[in-house]
Amino acid sequence: MKILIADDEIMSRTLLQKTLERAGYEVIAVENGRMAADRLCPVDGPRLALLDWVMPELDGPGVCREVRKREGRSYVYMVLLTSKESKEDVVAGLESGADDYLTKPFDPEELKARLRTGLRILNLEDRLVEAREQMRFQANHDGLTSLWNRVVILDLLGRELIRSRRERSTTVILLGDLDHFKSVNDTHGHLAGDDVLRETARRLLSSVRAYDFVGRYGGEEFLVVLNNCHPAHALARAEHICRNIGATPVQTANAAIPISMSFGLLKSQEWGALPMEELLQHADAALYAAKSAGRNCVKVASPKSSSADSHSQVHFPVHLRR
Amino acid sequence: MSSAIIDMAELLARVEDDRGLMRDLLLIFKEEFPQHLQALRHAVNSADGEKVAAEAHALKGMLSNLAAHPAAAAAARLEQLGRDREASQFPEAFTSFEEISKELLLQLDVCMAKVSG
Repeated sequence: MKILIADDEIMSRTLLQKTLERAGYEVIAVENGRMAADRLCPVDGPRLALLDWVMPELDGPGVCREVRKREGRSYVYMVLLTSKESKEDVVAGLESGADDYLTKPFDPEELKARLRTGLRILNLEDRLVEAREQMRFQANHDGLTSLWNRVVILDLLGRELIRSRRERSTTVILLGDLDHFKSVNDTHGHLAGDDVLRETARRLLSSVRAYDFVGRYGGEEFLVVLNNCHPAHALARAEHICRNIGATPVQTANAAIPISMSFGLLKSQEWGALPMEELLQHADAALYAAKSAGRNCVKVASPKSSSADSHSQVHFPVHLRR
Repeated sequence: MSSAIIDMAELLARVEDDRGLMRDLLLIFKEEFPQHLQALRHAVNSADGEKVAAEAHALKGMLSNLAAHPAAAAAARLEQLGRDREASQFPEAFTSFEEISKELLLQLDVCMAKVSG
């Protein structure tokens, strides 16, 4: 664990440094408060600090105040070293943001025990942050596939549509549905069905660019948002994704299960300022058309016919699956 | 009397029986002390309460680390007088501090000889 010690008096600094190095700390020693604040404020700075109260440039409480002002920085546990012993001094020190204080000259065992208290607090903070991040992830992602959940993918699509309208670019909506998924569950069981959904998610993610969005729309339906996609390339991109999904059977515990997916494709710039919900209805209609056309294919929603454009159908025969 | 000048047991506990570290601290003190003493003398002669308090504070810290309690107490008194701007009492308090410091420096040489073995 890194620890910063700040003391302008060289004997104290030397004593602290040796004591803490012997206790296994990685010590950064500085000789004034300004240097201490400069080292502690960056996000990757030490998270444990021993600060002399009286120092040139900036005193210990001043350092505490500067560090506490920083947002987004992990908690820094700060102990003031002081020969001040009045209640008012202690209160002022703690009010500045210090976590503890130690009277000089310090006893080595007491010093180490108080730092262990600090480490416990930092450890607790780490666990709280980890729990918060887990909860944040769970709130935004689908529990089975770890893709964006329905609420988030729709929110992302809504934002992307606004952006593409403003920039006069195209957002491509791809609504995909696994073919014959019910029979996968009926034949191989729901655990195998879960494996198929997870692998489908992985294949979808590996088929798009890092800045595209993939979410689980519901059941075996997935929503893919291709951001800033050239309209002329949209179908080829969708075909590529469709091929990747069905390229190889999904290996589950008991069987290798061939899969395929049907897609409805919609290019936002062809639909003016139609609300997102209506765009999704048209994409869904194109998906329905793909199912009707034999599945494992892509159908493009066309505003001219307000139904799937039959010329855009791309069908991948089952025998082409590897 | 000289044994009270530095509490050796306390000093050894502070350095966790690390005689190398103790030797380093004594050397640092011998090097640093004359400059601080000179600065304190100058502040006393100038009747500059703020500087007296600052220099006496620094000396008090060094002396406390060495478990040199009588000298640390004399420095603490000077620090307080400096804070209170009691300039009329600076000379007497400084003289007292200097006398204790002389004994301390003699004692330090004995300590150094012991530590160096």
